[in-house]
Amino acid sequence: MTSHPSRVRRYVVLLLLLCGFGAVLFRLVTLQVLQAAELTAKADRQHQKTVSFEGARGTVSDRHGKVLAMNVEVPSVFGVPTSLESPSTVARHLSPVLQIRSDEIVRKLRQDKSFVWLARKVQPEQGHRLAQLSLDGIGVVMEGQRFYPKGPLLAHVLGFSGIDGQGLEGLERRYDLHLHGEKRVTVLQRDALGRTVFPKGLAEQAPAPGHSLTLTVDEVIQYIAEKELEGAVSHSRAKSGTIIVMEPQSGAILAMAVSPRFDPNVVAALTPDRWRNRALTDTYEPGSTMKMIVAAAALEEKVMAPDSMVFGENGQMVVANTTIHDHDKLGWMTFSEVIQKSSNIGAAKTGMALGEQRLYRYLQAFGFGQRTEIDLPGEVSGLLKSPKDWGRRSLASISMGQEVGVTPLQMVSAMATLANGGVMMKPYVVSEVRDQKGRLLKEVRPQVRRRVVSQDTARTMTTILEGVVTNGTGTKAAISGFRVAGKTGTAQKIDSRTGAYSPTQFVGSFVGYVPAESPRLAMIVILDEPQGEAWGGVVAAPVFRRVGEQVLNYLGVSRENTVKIALAMKDH
Amino acid sequence: MKMVTIVAGVLLVFVFVWERVDVVRLGYEIEGLKTRKVLLERERDQLQVKFSALTAPERIAKVATEKLGLVPAQQGQVLMVHLPGEVPSPLPPSVEQVRLARHDSIRKESE
Repeated sequence: MTSHPSRVRRYVVLLLLLCGFGAVLFRLVTLQVLQAAELTAKADRQHQKTVSFEGARGTVSDRHGKVLAMNVEVPSVFGVPTSLESPSTVARHLSPVLQIRSDEIVRKLRQDKSFVWLARKVQPEQGHRLAQLSLDGIGVVMEGQRFYPKGPLLAHVLGFSGIDGQGLEGLERRYDLHLHGEKRVTVLQRDALGRTVFPKGLAEQAPAPGHSLTLTVDEVIQYIAEKELEGAVSHSRAKSGTIIVMEPQSGAILAMAVSPRFDPNVVAALTPDRWRNRALTDTYEPGSTMKMIVAAAALEEKVMAPDSMVFGENGQMVVANTTIHDHDKLGWMTFSEVIQKSSNIGAAKTGMALGEQRLYRYLQAFGFGQRTEIDLPGEVSGLLKSPKDWGRRSLASISMGQEVGVTPLQMVSAMATLANGGVMMKPYVVSEVRDQKGRLLKEVRPQVRRRVVSQDTARTMTTILEGVVTNGTGTKAAISGFRVAGKTGTAQKIDSRTGAYSPTQFVGSFVGYVPAESPRLAMIVILDEPQGEAWGGVVAAPVFRRVGEQVLNYLGVSRENTVKIALAMKDH
Repeated sequence: MKMVTIVAGVLLVFVFVWERVDVVRLGYEIEGLKTRKVLLERERDQLQVKFSALTAPERIAKVATEKLGLVPAQQGQVLMVHLPGEVPSPLPPSVEQVRLARHDSIRKESE
């Protein structure tokens, strides 16, 4: 028989055991049931790591396949602060290689994080040197870096992408959906030491690179345009400048140069003002170049004929209590001479003969007040008020290129319409999109926007515009051996302080096409606020000639005398 | 008969083991080649960037003018010469025609 004290002890032990098991059970229920979701998530955070992989960004090439933008893998350096014993020792080794101050590296490595970037997208040589150092807690991964091997060439059109490979400006932004590589998110496991365990076959699942773009731009023509524009801006001490070269029959952009230039490889220190593509984001009052539009409308509507006589009012005409002046005191002249001599009074009279509604209709038909829908971001529609908002002088003012805001692209597109027999084409920059295996995904064909004027009107306008270059204000645009058609423009800018036309700030321009009888190029040259002589015929027309001559030589376009030589050789 | 079966069985085991070893060896070889392919592609891309930078028109013009002392052709110095019987087309010429014209003009100059 068991004694009483021993039975008590047994119950005590049993009770203690029950309490112990009860406590364990309680804790178990707490952990496994009550806190299950929270703790599972915590464990996942410790054991799993979500990594985002992205395929290389697609290549951008010119019309002959010359690479203008491409991705190259370069090393990026990271640190694992939790596995470092002496951040200052590591920083001393890293500092000369990465060319970052030692205390800056120490600051990053002392953060309470399991991963910090120390330097992204460094030179390959720096990556090699780091690999040789073999520092614990410091690693190197390869990341895609965007390179623009031609430097500033075509920078305003190409734009640039950010450090994480997203398109930020220009074509990089507009075609980001095509250019960026496939994005793939993978969950990786980490071992007890926090090291990432890469699953087998991860390399096979590498995300596909982005699509490649082929442009209509020719890098040689672009170079010629940029070189001549830089020279002209520097020589005339202008604030900025723009040149657009277009193929009139297709609307393909061959060159789009903007000054001042920038290097898309180094954009961190630049402001948006520097990388803005002024060819389609900035508007200006075109001045006399608008007269060709008014003239084409008048010819099409048979309001005027090339030999119609217009009186120049001896250089002064009062309209709506304001006086319109001409550069010279002109008397009677033919309608052709109105354009060739760039008579403001003649243009105003032509506009008045057309009337508000008809003039407005033609301005719209030539594409003013609306986007050209070119495949580049940031294009503005310009300023073209509805006739109901026009003042008493508006008809005359608009006819001489005032009270209207146009982009350089709109103006060259309008000129290209005349060069193309009156048919307006949609301007475009990208001609092909291909996948990583070179398969064609998208081919851009020239698109007709509309017929604006008849072929006869376009032909007559060509004759009149040739006269501008042979006998008129644009003689400095003449290219030996070629027939050039074009129009000069000199517009006063509006002074932002007074709201009136500035007597010192001008926009000088020349827009034209060559060879006039069978145009290969339509081109606009604009110089914003040139110092000294600001006439379009003086500052912009010579640039047109220099670019035109070099481009025609490059394209192998025959001069008029070549035909004679060829025929002479045949005779012998 | 029993002996033949045993020998055949042993041979089969050897073949199986050899095959497994060879698969592993080939696996390593494939991995090595894949790594090499990645490195070569990386090198190709870097060379492509260098090539593009070196063939930039701006650089070529600089070398031509500063190192070789060449000057741009002036107005009227470039003349396209067409072969007898060939009348220049008003349409944009094909790439072949452009090359032919340049070739002819070079030949003309050298004569």
